[in-house]
Amino acid sequence: MSAYGTGRRASWVRDLAMGVRFAAGGGREGWIRTALTALGVGLGVVLLLGAASVPHIMENRQQRSDARLPAGSSAQPAPSARTLVVTATDTTYRGDHISGLTLRPDGPAPARPPGVAEVPGPGEMVVSPALKDLLGSPEGALLRERLPFKTVGTIGAPGLRGPGELVYYAGRTAFPAGHTGDRITGFGQNTGTDPMPPLLVLLIIVACVVLLMPVAIFIATAVRFGGERRDRRLAALRLVGADSAMARRMAAGEALFGALCGLALGGALFLALRQLAGLVTVWDINAFPADVTPVPALAALVLTAVPVLAVAVTFVALRGVAIEPLGVVRNAEGRRRRLWWRLPLPFAGAALLLLSGGPQADGTLPHTNWITGGAVLFLIGITVLLPWLVEAAVARLRGGPVPWQLATRRLQLSSGAAVRAVSGITVAVAGAIALQLFFAAVQGEFVWSTGQDSGRAQLDVSLPAKDVATLRRMTGEFRATQGVRGVIATINGTAYGPGSQRDEGHIPTTPVTVGDCAALRELAHTGPCRAGDVFVAKEGSGMVVGADAGSSARPGARVVFHIDAATGEPAGRTRPWTVPESAREVRSRPDPMGRPDFGIFATPGALDPAALADPSARALIRVDPRVPDAAEHVRNTAARLDPMADVHALQDFSRDSQFASVRTGLLVGSTVTLALIAASMLVSTLEQLRERRRLLSVLMAFGTRRATLAWSVLWQTAVPVALGLALSVVGGIGLGIVLLRLVGRPVLTWSVIWPPVAAGAALVVLVTALSLPPLWRMMRPDGLRTE
Amino acid sequence: MTPPGALIEASALRKAYGPTPALDGADFSIHPGEVVAVMGPSGSGKSTLLHCLAGIIGPDSGTIRYDGRDLTVLRDGERSALRRAEFGFVFQFGQLVPELTCAENVALPLRLNGVRRTEAERQAQEWLERLEVDEVAGKRPGEVSGGQGQRVAVARALVSRPRVVFADEPTGALDSLNGERVMDLLTDAARASGTAVVLVTHEARVAAYSDREVVVRDGVAREVAAAA
Repeated sequence: MSAYGTGRRASWVRDLAMGVRFAAGGGREGWIRTALTALGVGLGVVLLLGAASVPHIMENRQQRSDARLPAGSSAQPAPSARTLVVTATDTTYRGDHISGLTLRPDGPAPARPPGVAEVPGPGEMVVSPALKDLLGSPEGALLRERLPFKTVGTIGAPGLRGPGELVYYAGRTAFPAGHTGDRITGFGQNTGTDPMPPLLVLLIIVACVVLLMPVAIFIATAVRFGGERRDRRLAALRLVGADSAMARRMAAGEALFGALCGLALGGALFLALRQLAGLVTVWDINAFPADVTPVPALAALVLTAVPVLAVAVTFVALRGVAIEPLGVVRNAEGRRRRLWWRLPLPFAGAALLLLSGGPQADGTLPHTNWITGGAVLFLIGITVLLPWLVEAAVARLRGGPVPWQLATRRLQLSSGAAVRAVSGITVAVAGAIALQLFFAAVQGEFVWSTGQDSGRAQLDVSLPAKDVATLRRMTGEFRATQGVRGVIATINGTAYGPGSQRDEGHIPTTPVTVGDCAALRELAHTGPCRAGDVFVAKEGSGMVVGADAGSSARPGARVVFHIDAATGEPAGRTRPWTVPESAREVRSRPDPMGRPDFGIFATPGALDPAALADPSARALIRVDPRVPDAAEHVRNTAARLDPMADVHALQDFSRDSQFASVRTGLLVGSTVTLALIAASMLVSTLEQLRERRRLLSVLMAFGTRRATLAWSVLWQTAVPVALGLALSVVGGIGLGIVLLRLVGRPVLTWSVIWPPVAAGAALVVLVTALSLPPLWRMMRPDGLRTE
Repeated sequence: MTPPGALIEASALRKAYGPTPALDGADFSIHPGEVVAVMGPSGSGKSTLLHCLAGIIGPDSGTIRYDGRDLTVLRDGERSALRRAEFGFVFQFGQLVPELTCAENVALPLRLNGVRRTEAERQAQEWLERLEVDEVAGKRPGEVSGGQGQRVAVARALVSRPRVVFADEPTGALDSLNGERVMDLLTDAARASGTAVVLVTHEARVAAYSDREVVVRDGVAREVAAAA
């Protein structure tokens, strides 16, 4: 190392240290500035550390989820001291999923689910803390009816994916008739995770970039808080002999101190907030504090990158500032923002994205680094284009009323702070538009229509049944349930015909549906129907799918309901039943589940369901949406009829679970990022107001109306925001098109670009509204007092 | 004793900032067209007196009458309107709006009073010429010298033809030559238009431009006997 090199390094260290001392010992003003910077950086650091914890959170949730899965095998194990018979008894309460497992131990030492100290005895249950709270609260009254077990314990963290999860294990001596359950030897499976489709991987990469870029911008903005006062102080240092480079290094030292304070504050806030992680549920996700632990490598990256960013940003920011020994610092004369180096950045980003090649035919996504780099470069390009755009646009603004003139002149003189305040939202909206375009184009591959018609019925209840009495009881109870407007109740079984293929190993079968005329009309175009009628329902094509129409589903066909499973021959005591010659052939109609029912449709007067083998009762229920908790009342009725009744809510659409997870993750991230951007804009606005407090006081002393000043502040924010949102629309569409070209999909809809723009605009309105009270307080002429 | 016909008449003003009293029973008066210097050492309360007289802040007790109206009972909006229409201000560092040109700064009080932009800027140009700084009309405050900036501030204070100009250390940041020029222009223009000037200063040289001197010490204002 040369002496020059050593000397240069020493002067760097000395000047940075001096800057740190100025920031630390700068009196009240200095501390306010450092506090603002630390707050800004700290908020960003909290978010970055939170993002760095996501892999741990997801991994631990998955591990605990796997650990409580019943350990099964294809062959049922023999009963032993450790084995249990289990059946899933999940339910839903006011939109929240409740995982339930009913257990019946075979012996004295049954395997215990994770987090459970003792397997609950008959009539008892152990519950998660969140479920315990819910059951103990007035809000859980309806759920208490459904789970009439005595709570004897609480499930510990090892048995829960998150602290807010609703889980229970209930004990029984026997299962209700018709329910057999599965015998298991213990708990824990290694399900592994299905590899993500490359489309989703691409989506996740871009989403991470889109969500974290505003955070980086926010941190970069925060380290420049109070820059004007700092520059004046540096000018004074120039007067006593500091050269320009030294002044810049001292400025960097001040920023470094703020960033280090921010790191400390962010770390402390992160540690404090992670204790509250279990209390907050965002889009159905919550986590144990212990899970919220950053991946060490990512945490190290944050700890290193933030101070480096602080120093780098300060040097870049001071490029356009001439720190002179006398007077206040002035922007270097005639230094206009240049387009030539800004414009290529988004194009370079787009090129990098396209060159990555995207997902390959073999289902892989090579060059993920190129994709990350391309997305980052594109969004950085948007960020650096914004100051140029604002400068170029406001330079053309002239005249107007006083507030407009004050605002536009301010932006013409120095738009940097205003632009910095909105650059985060610009990038976030641009990224969100791109992601929305991408989502809209690919969601057809991950979201599909179920064929269910939630307009005709909202709940589908299945339970074992054996006779007409069950059918009548079920129908009656559901019809009497609060909020129920219609019930399609049937009992279903199977009829076996003596078909010609029996000898070839194929037994002709026909579904049998027993229900009253009102129910049968919902499932087939029966026309006139009376008690005692029988119908043969066919599909539109005239076929009875899956049945041998000629032998089992035709008027006059002889069928049996019980057969010997081994031989396929009619079981000993069964008596054949003949489809009446009077049975009319009718066209089937899809039920609300979207399934075309077909086969033999009989009213109870014609066929006693007790004759069927293993019949099941089914009710499709329509509820009145205006009646609160109507669905919960239905579920409670179902639980009363059969504690293990399967209740399914109809959904018109279904989503791929991985796609749904990515979308949920994006919503969580967007919510947190938008909150940070709001905080960032608010702090930036307050900082700008603080810098101009004395000028505001002078203007007030002239008798300037507060409304005049408020409007000028509003315009000063609104103009860059409008330009930023316009740029984000163009940039977002550009990035979206590039991403879609990468995966070979066309843009399906343009309407999705507006919600992010609206969200961005709403955020700005919110922040502006929040900044008005402090603005009002600062607009006092007594701010002139200096002594 | 206040002479009859006073434009501003204040009596027994008290004002404290926390435990620190700034004014402690101060009396003051000024007549139309009169230039009164308020003198005193740093921290004596002279700026606080000026701020109270101008309705910028309210006293804790005492009365201030302007043209027969009690300033202390006026609401904030009414005091703002009064300052906008009847008062002008010059501060130590000019306190020009940095983003506006000098001409726009001078035109600002007129525009706040609803005068159209072209007319306001025409009048501003006249005042800039009168104060011999018309050459900086299109420049921003950051691009002009301290003396020029202060003359622009004087033009801004006088452009709306106020009945009173409040000048708080108007030459405090200027060298003696520039200070004298600013004072010449301010007092000449004020006298020519019949504008009263409340001139806060700690420099006897500046106070010499006044018709009368009031000394504030420990929050109490006392009139200095006129020199023979």
